[in-house]
Amino acid sequence: MKRVWVMTLAALSGCQGKAGPELAGDLSGFALPEATARPAFSLTTLAGDSFDFRARTAGRLTLLFFGYTNCPDVCPATMANIGAVTNRLPSAERREFDVIFVTTDPDRDTPERLGPWLAKFDREIIGLTGSAAQLEAAQRAAGITVAFRDDSTGNYNVFHAAQVLVYSPDDSAHVMYPFGTRQAEWGADLPKLLTRWSGR
Amino acid sequence: MTWWCAATGQPWSWAWRAYPGVWLFIGLLALLYWRFGRTTGGTGSRWFAAGLVLLWLALDWPLGALGGYLASAHTGQYILIALAAPPLLLLGLRDRAAQAGAGAARWLRTLAGPVPAFLGYNLIMLGTHVPEVVDGLMVSQLGSFAIDLLWLIGGLMLWWPVVAPPALQRLSPPLAMAYLFIQTIPAIFPAAFLVFADYPLYRLYELAPRVSEGYTPRYDHQVAGLLMKIVGDPVVWIGIGVVFFRWANAERRKDLAAAGR
Repeated sequence: MKRVWVMTLAALSGCQGKAGPELAGDLSGFALPEATARPAFSLTTLAGDSFDFRARTAGRLTLLFFGYTNCPDVCPATMANIGAVTNRLPSAERREFDVIFVTTDPDRDTPERLGPWLAKFDREIIGLTGSAAQLEAAQRAAGITVAFRDDSTGNYNVFHAAQVLVYSPDDSAHVMYPFGTRQAEWGADLPKLLTRWSGR
Repeated sequence: MTWWCAATGQPWSWAWRAYPGVWLFIGLLALLYWRFGRTTGGTGSRWFAAGLVLLWLALDWPLGALGGYLASAHTGQYILIALAAPPLLLLGLRDRAAQAGAGAARWLRTLAGPVPAFLGYNLIMLGTHVPEVVDGLMVSQLGSFAIDLLWLIGGLMLWWPVVAPPALQRLSPPLAMAYLFIQTIPAIFPAAFLVFADYPLYRLYELAPRVSEGYTPRYDHQVAGLLMKIVGDPVVWIGIGVVFFRWANAERRKDLAAAGR
């Protein structure tokens, strides 16, 4: 099997400080040097409807991750760890936030493939897809490095950012979670994130 | 060249891989036994060979390699290395130990005491299941080798009080059975943590590339904890059974001898 290369957040401008990323207080995620506004981009849901990210998630805690279903390591581990925690939450609490997975491999991640794959982790995860141009625009709007294939033939891999972007109810991202965030950390942080930066 | 199985973080593949360090290790043990450990006659060589086979199965591909991806495979290795292989290896060395000189016999008899064996085995067993130790050591070949070696040493300590030749034994059969049973108790703690923890204990296995999509880290941890007790304990119970039946046979022979007198 081919070796998989995934770019990590350390390569991204948002967390490259002189002293390196710092933990966000009592959270396990890393504090962003500056809060960034909830990005504006429009993609397509697995049902084929248009999804305006900023409008549809405004005022809500939102976990945003870019990945692909053929990813052999980072994507399944990240989604499994989030899903292991979100599936345990009472339904009322679960309805208070969104988990959004945007494919970086639209050719292979058809709705028929992406839907069941996401449902294995959490049936409430919102899967989004789009054209190559739309997906590139979404990644640029989110401030992450744009994903690309290692080649265009056969069982290719996709280089993609590996962090989970977290937008708070104040419509800004103050913190992000790199690959390696554990279930226990998500379990401890999600309840805090629901009320942090929310004015509650 | 990868010499010893360790956690690589690479996607899992069922393609066979060579681990020459494992072959060298098994070969070295066989060589040392052939040179110093075997005795003429008896079945010691067969026991030792059986122990080596179990050790090889635990350390080499695929189980050894899977031990870097799955907590349950890691526990399978533990059962083979620390619980199943050592009594067979020691049975192979039993006759040679019986012939040991006075100096060697003294420390072999000391090691056959239940207290050093209990402390030695359980310190190793508990210490090598601490999450920080597993997460820290399993990511390097040397660290993984250290864990495997410690398990083997711990297993030899566990079984020696029971397998040692009569001249070196310090436990009567009833005490040996009680000793073996007590040795299974401390493993309840890591097993319970693995089964009942809200979240996976080991970072390594929680974040490792998936071997099978449906086999989640939490399920993997739970299987590991169950294996430790449901498979690990019966291996020790077999030892208890052997001690019991040998004791019963010995008593029967004594009774027959007394009746025939």
